[in-house]
Amino acid sequence: MTQYSILCVGSETDIDEMRGAIEQRDTLNPVVRTSVDGAIEAIETKSVDCVVTEYDLPDGTGGAIIEAIRDQSPNTPCVLYTSLSPAQIDTNSFDSVGVEYFNREMPDAHDRLGFVVEDIITHNAHAGFLLPDDEKSRLEALAEYDVDSLPIDESFERLTGLIASHFDAAVAFIGLIDRTTEDIIACTGSDWDMLAREDSICTHSMLQDDVMVVEDITADARFRNNDTLHQLGIVSYAGANMTTAAGNTIGQVCVIDHEPRSYSKVEQEDLQEFADLAMELLELRHTIDDGTTTETPT
Amino acid sequence: MKLSEEGTFDASALSLGAIPEGTSILLTGDDTDAIETVFYHLVAAGENERSLILATETNGRTVNRELDRIEYGISNRSTVLSCRGATDSNITTVDDIADLAGVGMQFSALVAESGTMAASQRAGILLCSSICQEVDDIQSVFRFLNANFLSHLRRDGIMGVCAVDTSAEIGGKIDGLVETMAEAFSAHISVESADSEEVTLHLDGDEVESKSVTLTLSD
Repeated sequence: MTQYSILCVGSETDIDEMRGAIEQRDTLNPVVRTSVDGAIEAIETKSVDCVVTEYDLPDGTGGAIIEAIRDQSPNTPCVLYTSLSPAQIDTNSFDSVGVEYFNREMPDAHDRLGFVVEDIITHNAHAGFLLPDDEKSRLEALAEYDVDSLPIDESFERLTGLIASHFDAAVAFIGLIDRTTEDIIACTGSDWDMLAREDSICTHSMLQDDVMVVEDITADARFRNNDTLHQLGIVSYAGANMTTAAGNTIGQVCVIDHEPRSYSKVEQEDLQEFADLAMELLELRHTIDDGTTTETPT
Repeated sequence: MKLSEEGTFDASALSLGAIPEGTSILLTGDDTDAIETVFYHLVAAGENERSLILATETNGRTVNRELDRIEYGISNRSTVLSCRGATDSNITTVDDIADLAGVGMQFSALVAESGTMAASQRAGILLCSSICQEVDDIQSVFRFLNANFLSHLRRDGIMGVCAVDTSAEIGGKIDGLVETMAEAFSAHISVESADSEEVTLHLDGDEVESKSVTLTLSD
C-alpha cells in the first residue's frame, strides 16, 4: 500500500485533532508542525505529498506555507482546514496552486478530512489541467511498463526520425504522460526532454480518441497564452494517442512545426499508424524485458 | 419535479430519464437562452434534493425566479453563488469571477453546507464560458474545474452541469476548448436550436445512453 506524507500545520490547541483526522486513513502519515517557520523547515527538508494547514497560525498564516510549498514543489496539493469563512481568507497568493478549502466546523469534518486528502492525492485532483476519466488506471498502466528500465530510447529515436522525415516536420517526438509531466522519450528536431503537463498540448490531445490537430496555437483559446509553447517555437501541432490493449492512453506521438499547418485525413491516419507502431515497440520491449527478468536466477 | 430513484437524478422533464449520481455533464450550445432553459431544468432540485448554482452573469434573484418557474418553491431548495447582485438568504456573492481560488473556496464551503441539508445534490455553473472570458489564463479554469467542481461531484455523488455558450468570444477558437472539456466530463449535452421554442438535445457519454431528443421548452 502506497504511503503518503501529510504535513499537518495547526496551533498547539488544535493540532492533535488534525493529526487524529489524518491518522484515520492507513495510507496517510502526518508530519506535525505548529508554526509557519516549523512548516517551512519541514517543506525544505522532507518529502511532502500534501499540506493540511490552519489559516491563522501563531507566527503568520497558512498562506505563507502555501507559498513555500509552491516554490519547492508547485504541484503539491494544499488543504486549508480552518474555521474561518472563505471571505476571511486572503487568496492573492493561491493563484497558481491548488488549494482546497475545508471548513473544520462542519459536523463531519474530522471524519472526512482524511478521505478528502486521500482523494486529492490519488486522483491528482489539484492538477492545473483536465484529466481523463481513467487517470488512475492509466497511471498504473504506465508504471507497469517501467520505461526507464527498458532499452527503448534508440528505437524511438529512429522512429521519430522517420516521422519527422515523412511529414517534413520541424520536430517529431514521442512523449509518455505521467502524473504531472510529459516525459519526452525521443525527439528529432529539438532536444526537449520534459514538459509540465499543464503546458503540454498532449495533455489535451490525449483526451481525444482521434488525432488532434492544432493548425495555429495563436488561434486556439487553450494555447494562445501558453508562454512555454511560444518559447519552444511551437506554432502547429498534430498528436496521436499511444493506447494500451486495455484502452489506457499513456503517451503521444507528435509532429510540430514552427509555422501554421494543416494535416490531411491521410496524414492523420499515418500519424496514428506511427503511434500504434510506437506502442507495439514498447509492448515488445516490455515483454522481452519481462521474460529476461523472469529467467534471470536470483 | 419527480422523486428520483435512489442513486439517480430525475431529468424526465427533458426526456433524458434518470441520470446516475456523480454524473458530470458538459452542456454546450450557441443559443444562450436555450442553454439557460435546459440548464435550469437539469439543476432544479427534486424532492429531498438540494442544488447549488454558480451564476456568472445572472444575479441570484433571477436564478431563483428561473428555478421557481419550473416549479414554484424549488428556489427554497437551492443555494446560489453569484457574481452579480446582492446577497440574500440563499444567495452568496463573490466580487471577482476571475479570482477562481476565492470562488472555489466559496463553492467548496457551500457544497459542504448544502450537503448537510439533503442527501442528494445537484450543482451547476452558468456560464463557464463567461469565466473563460474573464481570466487571463484558461489553464486556471481547467484547474478550477478539476480541483473544485469535478472533485466535488466525484466525492459527493453530486450530479453537475457546466454550461458553455459556444458563441462566446474567448479570444480564439472555442471548438477545441469544448473538445478538451467534453472528455473530462462523463456526459455531453449539445443544444441545437431550431427556432425560438424547439430545441434538440444530443446526449453522449460513457455512462449514459446516447440519444437525441427534440423538445418544446416554453420555460
